[in-house]
Amino acid sequence: MEQEQFDIWMMEYVSDSLEEVERKEFEDFLHEHPMYKEQFEKLNETWGQLDGMYMAEPSEKMDDRFFTMLHSEIEKTESTGRKPLSWLSSLAEILWRPQVAYGMLLLVMGLSLGYFFNEGTANPNPVNQTQMASDSDTENVREQLVLTLLDQPSANKRLQGISEVNKIKKVDDKVIGALLQTLNNDTNVNVRLAAIESLTNYLENPTVREGLVQSIVKQDSPIVQVTLANLMVALQEKKSIEPFKTLIRSKELDTSVKQKLETSIKSII
Amino acid sequence: MHQLTDNVLMLKVKSGDLDKLGLLYERHKKRLFGFFYNMNHNASLSEDLVQNVFVRLLKYRHTFTGEGSFAAWMFRTARNVNYDYYKKNKQEIHQKELSSVAFKLEDESGLNVKMNKNDEVAQLNQAMKHLSPEKREVLILSKYKGIKYSEIGQILGCSEGAAKVKAHRALNDLRNIFLQLETK
Repeated sequence: MEQEQFDIWMMEYVSDSLEEVERKEFEDFLHEHPMYKEQFEKLNETWGQLDGMYMAEPSEKMDDRFFTMLHSEIEKTESTGRKPLSWLSSLAEILWRPQVAYGMLLLVMGLSLGYFFNEGTANPNPVNQTQMASDSDTENVREQLVLTLLDQPSANKRLQGISEVNKIKKVDDKVIGALLQTLNNDTNVNVRLAAIESLTNYLENPTVREGLVQSIVKQDSPIVQVTLANLMVALQEKKSIEPFKTLIRSKELDTSVKQKLETSIKSII
Repeated sequence: MHQLTDNVLMLKVKSGDLDKLGLLYERHKKRLFGFFYNMNHNASLSEDLVQNVFVRLLKYRHTFTGEGSFAAWMFRTARNVNYDYYKKNKQEIHQKELSSVAFKLEDESGLNVKMNKNDEVAQLNQAMKHLSPEKREVLILSKYKGIKYSEIGQILGCSEGAAKVKAHRALNDLRNIFLQLETK
């Protein structure tokens, strides 16, 4: 075998580019050719040592700079996109006279009637299907955006992530899980409150209810504790009684929160 | 959930959905930072260069065709950013290098004593610094999981086979330098 051919083969082996059968073939070859085996062992050792070369991690500052750049770029693009719209709106102001308005009203009524009578006979529209596919695509992207934003170091970004959740029509378990995790672990009270508010949209989901109940004992902020208490009363969630009792027993609990929780327990019972 | 590929996301960026660049950034920031850091061993400079790469990806988004992989396109941009930076700052870097060489010469004996001979990582990083930038980058790219040699070929502007040969030569040189450092 030519040396260069072996060199290429060796690089494919060390970089995991070979299939299982091919790997076996390479190993058998080495077994039969001790000279090549020696070459391989030397190089493989250095290849393994290369694992130690990555040592530093980027700082959070890098993320902040990137997202600031991206947002300003998005704003720039949106504002240039808005220019023709503002031109249109000024044109609309000029045309907005009673005669035109009545004309427009009649036109809209005519179109609505036409649409209404035509609806039953219309064939299934392929355009609608495309629209649905593109909607689900957008939903996926939005979900990914939510997960990314909830992971950001800046509280504003995480709040933005929660507000993005509210735009998703049908959330999946991954997003619910991320919201519950935010509720339990986020360092910022406002973000946790926003997470509760967002979760209340999915109360029919048993995971959400269970997650909210389990979160009670994990909260140390009075305002979050009171918000959860109010919610549990509204839901008449009996499972929450035990966690509330556990909270009441803890020494650090604020006195007024303690009273509030006791009242809440009574209301639930 | 359907995983959107890098190429799909970049095509969305191209069509005006700039938000999606945030997802691509999250996916690739560490690798890109690692690439620069292993090239220049300067964390703050590496962060600047990562930023420059994404600014450039945004600026030249219209040139992304989606035919090759996004990673190859991104690393090709990263190489250009790196090259431009060094070209622009040649004078300054040359002076810095000279002063660091002077420092090394002065302190060589003390440094050698301090350096633990068994510390392979430190020695390997030293050896990496002695490699030419071209050889260093092919090794860094080869070590990344998920980047195939066909993509490295695209990044370096050569064939897949040539990329493997380059990687082998670089690895061989690295080993020789490493052994030389060891015997010093």
